Amino acid sequence: MFWKRQVPLAIVFIVGVLTLFGWFITHDTIRSFIEDDATQWYDVIASFAVILGALNLLKLQGQKVLRRKKDWQYSVLTILGFLLAFFAGFMFRGGHHITITNVGFSPEEVAQVISDKTNVEYEKILGGLKELPEGDEETLDKSYMRMSKAVTLAEELRQAGAEVNIRTEKWGSHLLSEGTLFKWMFDNVFTPLLATMFALLAFFVASASYRAFRIRNFEATLLLGAGIILMLGRVPIGSTISTWFVAYILVLILGIVIGSLLKNRIIALISIIGGLLLVTIAGTLSGWPIDKPAFLYLPKIQEWIYLYPNIAGMRAVMIGIALGMVGTSLRVILGIEKSFMGEK
Amino acid sequence: MSFRQTLMVAGALTVLFIIYWQLGHPYFNANRLVMFLCVIILSGTILYYIGKANRGEEIYLRTIPGLNAVEEAVGRATEMGKPVLFIPGIVDMDQVETVAGVIVLGHVARLTARYETELEVPVARSIVMEAATEITKEAYLAEGRPDQYRNDMVHYLTDEQFAYAAGVDGIILRRKPAAIFYQGKFYAESLILAETGNSIGAIQVAGTGSPAQIPFFVTACDYTLIGEEFFAASAYLSQKPALLGSLKGQDLAKFVVMASVILVLILNAMYDLGWIVFDITKIFTVQ
Repeated sequence: MFWKRQVPLAIVFIVGVLTLFGWFITHDTIRSFIEDDATQWYDVIASFAVILGALNLLKLQGQKVLRRKKDWQYSVLTILGFLLAFFAGFMFRGGHHITITNVGFSPEEVAQVISDKTNVEYEKILGGLKELPEGDEETLDKSYMRMSKAVTLAEELRQAGAEVNIRTEKWGSHLLSEGTLFKWMFDNVFTPLLATMFALLAFFVASASYRAFRIRNFEATLLLGAGIILMLGRVPIGSTISTWFVAYILVLILGIVIGSLLKNRIIALISIIGGLLLVTIAGTLSGWPIDKPAFLYLPKIQEWIYLYPNIAGMRAVMIGIALGMVGTSLRVILGIEKSFMGEK
Repeated sequence: MSFRQTLMVAGALTVLFIIYWQLGHPYFNANRLVMFLCVIILSGTILYYIGKANRGEEIYLRTIPGLNAVEEAVGRATEMGKPVLFIPGIVDMDQVETVAGVIVLGHVARLTARYETELEVPVARSIVMEAATEITKEAYLAEGRPDQYRNDMVHYLTDEQFAYAAGVDGIILRRKPAAIFYQGKFYAESLILAETGNSIGAIQVAGTGSPAQIPFFVTACDYTLIGEEFFAASAYLSQKPALLGSLKGQDLAKFVVMASVILVLILNAMYDLGWIVFDITKIFTVQ
């Protein structure tokens, strides 16, 4: 119990107090601990913990396959994907680059070989080779995943009179360099898959918006109105909608509200006709400017909604969140909240 | 500590701090004095109310529908014979939202243990996996049902945001849980997860400290813990006096913040109009 309870609580207290009050202290050692050491310690621990995660993943998916549990086929794919990424990360680098150290007496022939193998324009390569200063090297843009392919091209270039070297990407840098298996998988498998998942968001936003904008009550109606104004106000067509058109729409909405509140059709009709007349007279007198009065201009309305009610609401939520965070942190630091360690 | 004792301690600390300040306050970042005082006053208030609650004073806590729904959701899953899915966010334990989410997991795990309902917790971080495993195991032990606990309840999927979302979506669609809890820090994957959960008709309870994700959860989930409600979950569900006291302290701090906002607004307006020469915003600007 001592190691599982008291020691972690002591560590949480010491590091928590140091981090909290360290923000107000200008002592170099404490500052460097908070800004560098503590975060690096966490990164080191997290790096080791990744092994636990990977082992957990393999163990559970492996058990699923071995016991032929429901949907075990997906587990086979997961394990294969894991092993392939492991192979590309730790066993097979690829990334063999060909470097020309001397073009020789026939740059045309060398350029022809490179052009044939890399599908780059002959003139472009030839120009580059001719401009290559004495003693400088030129590394081909294309790199090879398999050594045998790089050796074949190097041999052909040597036969054309060039002096060439083959350089292989170092371990570690192969994760980010072109021509390596890991980078190829990242660019051609992983990134498109992530982009696909992200793109799904568009459809989910549409379905969620439909549910949110359905007119069920006053709040939903308000949300719908604000949503329409924001969407219209932020696209080019929004700035072409005249303020007078908005004014006419408002008069009609006002008529509906009056009609439903007073339950009197005549008063509603009079208000609508009166409102429409008022807007028409005002528009005629002012010459129907598209963006005046500004409070009815959609880009201005959306800007106001975005900057004021929206920011005010967000800030109110954020103040609550910040206080909640402070409260939770304080409870954890002082050991009042221990349920995150499994204690009742 | 009584109110008088608290005042005495606060007074003594203030005197000590004034002496330290007069001595030239070595190693203290004077630019952050206001924030330091805010932290001290806030912490002091919370600690004072924790003390009060520990002495047995009754603390009123308003009803939070989202937290009342936790038991309802687990009960529904039990009746339907379907599992409960708990998603503790996608960030590591260094974020307080994840800590708060894991704390809620403890309460949910206790309920699933009590009702003998299946629980599944896919996680995106290894350290969270360890913490969640520990808390789930302890919850099953505390409920006297260690036999119900399985090692694969909490399992790791991936660190990658959208790969995790794809994995969880797969679990939701294949296993069709009756109740889904989203408690932690989320980013753009929040809507992907919540809409998938919505599509299978699961009862969904979300709680997050990410303001940008709250609208998505409100739209797609049955109950959403907004802002400080999420951080109050542990106190609300456990009803421990010390935790409830801290909430009371937080509420008082919220009142002080509201009063400060209004005061600063008035003083700043007066400064802008040239009625006073003192710029109050300089004090409240974080250095």
